Amino acid sequence: MIGIKNLTGGYGNKPVIQNVNFSLEKGEFFGLLGPNGSGKTTLFKLITGALPAAGGEITVEGKPLSGFSKLEKARMIAVLTQEAHVSFDFTVEEIVSLGRYAFQKGLFKSLSRQDRKVIDDVMELTGVTKYRDTQFRLISGGEKQRVLLAKALAQEPKIMLLDEPTNHLDVKHSFHMLDLLKEWQREYGLTVFAILHDLNVAALYADRVALLHEGSFLKTGGVDILRDESLLRQVYEVDVKSQPHPYVPKPQLLMTPEDKEGPPKDHFSRSYRVRQNEGLIHIEFNEPLRTISNGVTGEGIQWLNHFCNFHVNNNYDGGEPVDDMTNWMKNQGIPPEKAAGMMTAVKLEDMVLLEKEYEEIRLLAMVTAGAGNAVDITSEELDSEIGKIGTINIMVFLDSHFTDGALVNACLSATEAKTKALQDLNIKDPYTGTIATGTSTDSLLIGTTQKGERTPYAGSGTIAGKAIGTAVYDAVTGAVRKYEKRQRRS
Amino acid sequence: MPSSFIRTFLSKRIFWVYVLSGGFVLGAVLLSLIWSSVSIPVGHVVHIISDNALGWSLIADVPDNEERIIWNIRLPRVLLALCVGASLALAGAAFQGLLRNPLADPYTIGVSSGAALGAVIVIFFQLTIFGLGSFTLPVMAIIGGFLALMLVFGLVKIASRSLAIETIILAGIIMSSFIGAVISLIIALGDQDAMTQIIYWLYGSVGMRGWSHVQLIVPFMLIGMFLLLIHYRELNALALGEEVAEHIGVNVQRGKIMILLGASLLTGASVAVSGMIGFVGLVIPHLVRLITGPNHRHVLPLSLLAGGGFLILADLVSRTIIAPKELPIGVITALIGAPVFALLLIRNRLGKGKTA
Repeated sequence: MIGIKNLTGGYGNKPVIQNVNFSLEKGEFFGLLGPNGSGKTTLFKLITGALPAAGGEITVEGKPLSGFSKLEKARMIAVLTQEAHVSFDFTVEEIVSLGRYAFQKGLFKSLSRQDRKVIDDVMELTGVTKYRDTQFRLISGGEKQRVLLAKALAQEPKIMLLDEPTNHLDVKHSFHMLDLLKEWQREYGLTVFAILHDLNVAALYADRVALLHEGSFLKTGGVDILRDESLLRQVYEVDVKSQPHPYVPKPQLLMTPEDKEGPPKDHFSRSYRVRQNEGLIHIEFNEPLRTISNGVTGEGIQWLNHFCNFHVNNNYDGGEPVDDMTNWMKNQGIPPEKAAGMMTAVKLEDMVLLEKEYEEIRLLAMVTAGAGNAVDITSEELDSEIGKIGTINIMVFLDSHFTDGALVNACLSATEAKTKALQDLNIKDPYTGTIATGTSTDSLLIGTTQKGERTPYAGSGTIAGKAIGTAVYDAVTGAVRKYEKRQRRS
Repeated sequence: MPSSFIRTFLSKRIFWVYVLSGGFVLGAVLLSLIWSSVSIPVGHVVHIISDNALGWSLIADVPDNEERIIWNIRLPRVLLALCVGASLALAGAAFQGLLRNPLADPYTIGVSSGAALGAVIVIFFQLTIFGLGSFTLPVMAIIGGFLALMLVFGLVKIASRSLAIETIILAGIIMSSFIGAVISLIIALGDQDAMTQIIYWLYGSVGMRGWSHVQLIVPFMLIGMFLLLIHYRELNALALGEEVAEHIGVNVQRGKIMILLGASLLTGASVAVSGMIGFVGLVIPHLVRLITGPNHRHVLPLSLLAGGGFLILADLVSRTIIAPKELPIGVITALIGAPVFALLLIRNRLGKGKTA
């Protein structure tokens, strides 16, 4: 659709843009990224023609851009810039109508019925119809940008060039605008070239991106080039961490502020408090911990302060466990958005809580255990009958700095230790009669303070893994013994 | 559908605005023809005009002196006022649209002064450019106006790179003062006779000029009008700024030149036939915009009508208020225009303060 060869240009003697080469395919959304001063706007102006190029060539559909008349160009390419200054009190409809300039014919050109239809359609689509007779200067910034988008769409362009289209827009308006563009891209094969200052927005909407650095393209490709953290660090000089979006298969970037060392933290053993009664074990940390868990609430990877293990009756129906648990937390004065919660039918007084230090790694482990639902996961037979008391809930808190991979390692280590404990205690799956590997509803939570040296490993070959393994083994063994003792008494 | 209802209502409203403006001009023309020291019945006026213009004799016995007064003195004067007022108001509307500035008009940006200098040179040196004959005066005035405009733009370009609005007005004022000084210099160097002639001419008047001056202005006015009216869409687009206008397909460079050329033609021709008449180009487009909104499709033709009618009335006042003596018409337009403009500015400010 657009081909750019050896494009060079800028202001004054030293060209800002040097030998830029790229091409836009028909119907793609191309995002131009780069820090301030990298030449994004200069490149944009070279492409729109607002700035004459010092060298190189721009072709549209194979023909050089300079060969197009202004009218032909306007029927092909629409441009949306950042500035939204309009002199005089033009109404919204009059502004949108200007988009039809290139289509009007005759000496005293006026709007045809076709023009009117397009104008009505684009105003409807961008949601500005209700302002049609309002003065442009009286509407809000987000509405102004939508009106200018409507004007650009009224050109019925094949190519849309946008310079930071979502600048000054709030999240709602930004996403509305980009969704709309995306829709036109899909529906009408619109080719979009946009300067985007937000890397995450670019990752979500662009098909391909280019990173502009000091006037030339450092890298061009699919949005997955945004997973290259060292590249982004080089261009933006900010500590960047790439993360997957939970629902869309695109990278999202997290920036880390330079000043991350807060005031000196408490010693680990003074950094938490444990509250326990018949209904609840509540462990509260002063600082949020990075956690991974499969609890009822606070699941996945989070930053949390409160860790709860609620007691429920054996006949709890479990219809709305998340809502129930959220309510229980609120009743206890615990903020649910900062808490992870598990539930168990085991008597909470049989909890094992142990704090230990293993090769300079301090950790705290909390386990409640019941073996009534013990299951051998390796057996192919499935016992659908669950309902006896028996869940092993494990929480392990470490004064360490784990990567996400290390958190997964830690889960493995804890699980292996639990299984080993069950084996040594000779706990059997009552259905198959074989040694159990766990119970049918076990929960696990690993929490780390993220202080000290960052470690990517916490498996069985590491100190952290050993620390977790030994602690979990001891705690599970203790808890199961307490449970068995109570079973024998009753 | 409510929106189409509003639109039909609007188009109906604008229709009535045109009817009213046309009626205003016609009324002003008739009033001005009838009302003066020698009162002539309406029937006679209509007869004289239709007899002379179309050859239709309506009434048999109309006195010869009445015919001379109406046909040779009053009608050309009224038509000249109409042409000058229409030209100045249209030029003002175009300058304001082009420069995106409500303060722009032929006076504030120095075009009128340049045109005046061109005209003064012709009058003072009794110049006749070969082949132009009596058109020497308007042609020189137009060239003077255009040159002054180019100088102002050049000055602004050097001073600020971008065509900043405030700088244009400032440069226009500097240019006007400078040219004013040059004109004063020429007057001071001349004899008593030329001095009176030039000063009186500079005050601005549409009286005692006859048909020859109407013939002088009409061709330039028609070309200028045509140039501006066919560029109404470009003027609308320029409200978005030159870069954005370019993006929607406007050939900004060519449009700007055409509009400046048209406005200079109108201004130069007006100054050549009537001297310096201020405030018409500033105030009339403002008033029109208050009624119709900023769309140049309506602002331009309505400014034309309103400006013409306004100047006819101003001329009527200037020759009747201290009759039998006459006031210079520029005095009347300034006396009316300046306070009106001040009011508009205050209103604008108050309105903006409320909504912003």
